[in-house]
Amino acid sequence: MQNIRNFSIIAHIDHGKSTLADRFIQTCGGLSEREMEAQVLDSMDLERERGITIKAQCVSLDYKANNGEIYQLNFIDTPGHVDFSYEVSRSLQACEGALLVVDASQGVEAQSVANCYTAIELGLEVMPILNKIDLPAAEPERVAQEIEEIIGIEATDACQVSAKSGIGIDELLERLVEEIPAPEGDPDAPLKALIVDSWFDSYVGVVTLVRIIDGSIRKGDKMQIMSTGRSFGVDFVGIFTPKREDMPVLECGQVGFIIAGIKEIDSVKVGDTITLQDNPADEVLEGFKEVQPRVFAGMFPVEADDFENFREALDKLTLNDSALQFEPESSTALGFGFRIGFLGMLHMEIVQERLEREYDLNLITTAPTVVYEVLKTDGNIIQIHNPSDLPEVNYIEEIREPIIQANILVPQEYVGNVISLCIEKRGVQTNMQYMGAQVALTYDMPMSEVVLDFFDRLKSVSRGYASFDYEFKYFQESKLTKVDILINSERVDALAVIVHADASQRRGREVADKMRELIPRQMFDIAIQAAIGRQIIARSTVKALRKNVTAKCYGGDVSRKKKLLEKQKKGKKRMKQFGRVEIPQEAFLAVLKVDS
Amino acid sequence: MPEFTILPPLSLYIHLPWCVKKCPYCDFNSHTYDSGLPEDEYINALISDLEYQLPTIWGRRIISIFIGGGTPSLFSAESIHKILSTVRSHLNCLPDMEVTMEANPGTVEQNKFNGFYQAGVNRLSIGVQSFDDKKLLALGRIHNADESYNAVAVARKAGFENINLDLMFGLPDQNLQQCLSDLQQAIDLFPQHISWYQLTIEPNTFFYNQPPVIPEDDDIWEMQQQGQQLLAGADYLQYEISAYAKNNQQCKHNLNYWQFGDYLALGAGAHGKISRADTGEINRYWQIRKPADYMQASVENKTSGRESIKTDQIIFEFMLNSLRLKQGFEIQTFEQNTGLNVSLISTRCEQAIAEGLLQRKGESYAPTERGYLFLNDLINLFS
Repeated sequence: MQNIRNFSIIAHIDHGKSTLADRFIQTCGGLSEREMEAQVLDSMDLERERGITIKAQCVSLDYKANNGEIYQLNFIDTPGHVDFSYEVSRSLQACEGALLVVDASQGVEAQSVANCYTAIELGLEVMPILNKIDLPAAEPERVAQEIEEIIGIEATDACQVSAKSGIGIDELLERLVEEIPAPEGDPDAPLKALIVDSWFDSYVGVVTLVRIIDGSIRKGDKMQIMSTGRSFGVDFVGIFTPKREDMPVLECGQVGFIIAGIKEIDSVKVGDTITLQDNPADEVLEGFKEVQPRVFAGMFPVEADDFENFREALDKLTLNDSALQFEPESSTALGFGFRIGFLGMLHMEIVQERLEREYDLNLITTAPTVVYEVLKTDGNIIQIHNPSDLPEVNYIEEIREPIIQANILVPQEYVGNVISLCIEKRGVQTNMQYMGAQVALTYDMPMSEVVLDFFDRLKSVSRGYASFDYEFKYFQESKLTKVDILINSERVDALAVIVHADASQRRGREVADKMRELIPRQMFDIAIQAAIGRQIIARSTVKALRKNVTAKCYGGDVSRKKKLLEKQKKGKKRMKQFGRVEIPQEAFLAVLKVDS
Repeated sequence: MPEFTILPPLSLYIHLPWCVKKCPYCDFNSHTYDSGLPEDEYINALISDLEYQLPTIWGRRIISIFIGGGTPSLFSAESIHKILSTVRSHLNCLPDMEVTMEANPGTVEQNKFNGFYQAGVNRLSIGVQSFDDKKLLALGRIHNADESYNAVAVARKAGFENINLDLMFGLPDQNLQQCLSDLQQAIDLFPQHISWYQLTIEPNTFFYNQPPVIPEDDDIWEMQQQGQQLLAGADYLQYEISAYAKNNQQCKHNLNYWQFGDYLALGAGAHGKISRADTGEINRYWQIRKPADYMQASVENKTSGRESIKTDQIIFEFMLNSLRLKQGFEIQTFEQNTGLNVSLISTRCEQAIAEGLLQRKGESYAPTERGYLFLNDLINLFS
C-alpha cells in the first residue's frame, strides 16, 4: 500500500491535461508506441473531437522511481468543463493528491480554481504544475505567483514541464511519489469500496470503478451493495493500464474495476459503498451529493415513427450518463417526445449529437430553459420545466427563477467589459478582488441569462481570456412573463419562452425577426407573431417563394438533376411540418440566436 | 419490372467535348486543348464506339441526332460529315430526321457552316447567351454581340432554316430592361426556337466557388414574368420550362428526353438510356469522361458505368422529365416509355391534384400553373 499513489489532474480545457496523461502512460510503458493513439483517455469520438473529457476514467501505471522502488500510479481522469464539475469532485474523492496543471503562457482559470478548492476541502495534496513551459509566451514566474495569490498554495518551486515535448516529466513523477501521500486504510478490515464511476459495456454488463478504502476484493467473492443490500458474484476484478488487465485481487488503497454480471446500471449507484456479503462493513462511506439537472429542453423525433427508437436510445444513454433525466412530453406542434434535463448547455449539445450520431435519430430540440418555481394562488408550489406548462396569469402568485453564483476570473484589462456584460445579464456583484494580473468577480445572476449565451459573450468580450464557473444558489422572485410565438395565427407551444417582463417586448420582436430569417421561404406567406397573453407584440412575415424549379435539365444526364432534388429533400430532413409550414431546427433555437 | 409492348423512340447523342475556354458557369463535360484538336482520332473513336454498341439497338430506328458539347463547331465539316455518314450507313434513320448541332458565335466561318449543312446537319443551336458585350464578358464568353448577329446570318446563308438561340437571364448585375432588351434582340432575329433559361450556379464551377452578384429573387421573378409575355406576344410558345418555339417547331431531340425516350450515347462523358424488350430492363450508361481516356480505351471499355433502373426510379425519372413539359404527358406515353402500368402512379397523381399542383386533362396529366412554378415540389411527390 505504501507504493500506491492515487491522483487526479485538475486543468482547464486545453491546458494540457490529456497530453500530460498520455506522456505518463508512455513514460511508464502502459502502451506501446503503436497503441499510443493520440490522447488515449478521451476515448469517445465526441470527446476527442471536442477536445474535452466527459466521463471519468482511470489508468494504473507502474513507475520505477530513482530509489529503485516500483510505484503503482493510479491516475483518475476528470472532465474539464463547467457542466461536469460534479464528476470532478467524485474523482477527487478517490485520490490522495491532485496535480494542478496550469498553462504557463495563460494563467489560472476559474474552473480550475473551483476544482482546486474542492480538492483542498477534501484534504488532498495539491501539486502545482506549470505546463507548456517551452512556449515563447510562457511566464512561469508570473503564473506561479498567480497560483499563490488566487488559490493560496505554495507554487514558487512548482514543477515546470512541457507535456508535449516531454520536458520535466521524469522530475514530475519523482516529486509525485514523494509529495503525494500513500493511501491509508485497514487491509484487514471488512471491505469498503467507494463506487467512483460505473458504465455499461455491451459485452460484460456494468463495469464499476471503485476505490478500495478498507479490506480487499477477489474474483469469486460475493459482493454486496450497501444501500440496497443486493448481492452479486464477482466475475472479474482488475485495473486499466489503460488496457483492461484482470487481477486476482484488488487490494486496500487501489483503484480498479469490478465486473459482476450486473445488467442495470441503477444497481450500482455512483457514491455507494460495496462490501462483502460474508463479512460486511458496519457503516457506509460518505457518498456524493446527487446532481440536479439545471437546464431542460424538449427533444422530438422528426418522424413520429422514431419515438420508440428514441426512447430506447435515451434508456441506453442514461446507462452511462446518470446525470441525464427524461420524461415523456407531448407537444401539439411537435408530437410526442421527451423533456430532458441536462447539467448545462454543453451537456445538452453532447447528448443531442450522440443521439443523432450513435443512434441515427433525426431530432428537433427546443430552446433550453431553466427550472422555474411558481407559487400558485392556492398556495401550491410547482416546478416548471417547460414554458408551455406555465399556469394562466390569474393562477400565479409569483414566479421564481434560479439564481446562480458566477465566479469569473478575468485579466484586468477586460474587467470593464465583463462587468458591463454581467449588468446586462441582470447580475448583482457580490465580490470583486484583484489578484495579481487577474480580477476575481463574483456575481449573483439569473441562470436563464447564463443558459442563453453568457459563456460565448463572456469569451468574446474578454478575447477568450475570461474564465467562468457557477453553482446554483437559490430561487428568487422575479417579474417573468411568457412570450408565445404564433405561426399563421396558431400558437406553437414548443416555441414559447419565459423572459423577464422588462425585456419581453424587445425579446418578442427580436425572436419574430430572427424566425423570419431562419424559416425558409415556402410556397405561401408565413406570418410569425409574438404574443404575451392575447396581446400581439410583434409580427413578421416570411414572403412566399415565387417558384421552385430547375432552369436547365441536362439532356441525357439525369443524375445531376436527381442529385439536386435529393439535396433539396435532405435540406428538409431537419424540418418539422407544422400545418403546412415547415420549420427548421434552427428556428426552434431562435431565441438563443438573437443578438442582444 | 417493366414490360414493353413497343419500345420507346430512340435518339442519338454525340458529344464533342472541347472548348476554346471553359465558361465560369458551365458544369458540362468540356475540356480545353493546348495544341490542335485530335479530330481524326476522336471521330474514329466515335465510330468504333458506335459499331460496338450497335447490337444493343439492333433493328431500331433513329428519330433524331444531337451533336452537343463542348463546342462542336470547333470540328471541321469533314469530321462531322464522316461521323454522320457512318451513322446513316449503319442505322435505320427516320426520313428528314432532325439533326441538331451546337455552335458558338465565336467559331463561325461561312465555308465551315456550308459544310455542316451539306453533311446533313439541319438544325443549329447557337449559344448567344446575351447581346450585351459586358454581360458576355462577365459570363466568360469569347464572343461579342456582333459575332452573334454574324453567326445567324452565316447560318442562314449556309441554308439552315431551323435555328435555336440559347439565351440566359438573371445574369450578374442584370436589370429588367437589359434582360428584356436581350430577349427582344433575339426575337428580332426571328429564330424558330429560343431556349431562354435562368443562370443557375452549379457545383463544380468557377461561379460556385466565387459567386457573382446575381439579381434578387423578386427581380428575377419580374424578368421571367415580363420576358414570357414578350415571348408569347411574338408567338414563341413555351412548351418546356426553358424552351419556346414558333409554329410548333419544337426540338424533337429534347422532346424525346423529356418524354422518357431512349437515346444512344457516343463520345466522352455522354449519357445513354436504352430499354430492352426481352428482359424488360431500362439501362443507363455513361462513357468515360476524359477525352484522352475515352479515345485510348479499347472499344469494349469505353463505358465507365451503367445501371439498371428500378421501378421507383423509373417513375421518378419519368416525372422529372415529362412534367417539365407544359402539356405534361399522355397516359399512353407513360405506359409505352416506362413499360409500367399507370395504376402505379395514380395515388400520387391524386395527391398532387389535391395539392393543386397537377391536373388531369382527358387522357393526360399536366402540371397546373402553380405546379409548373413549384415543379421541384411536384416532382418530389414522386420520389
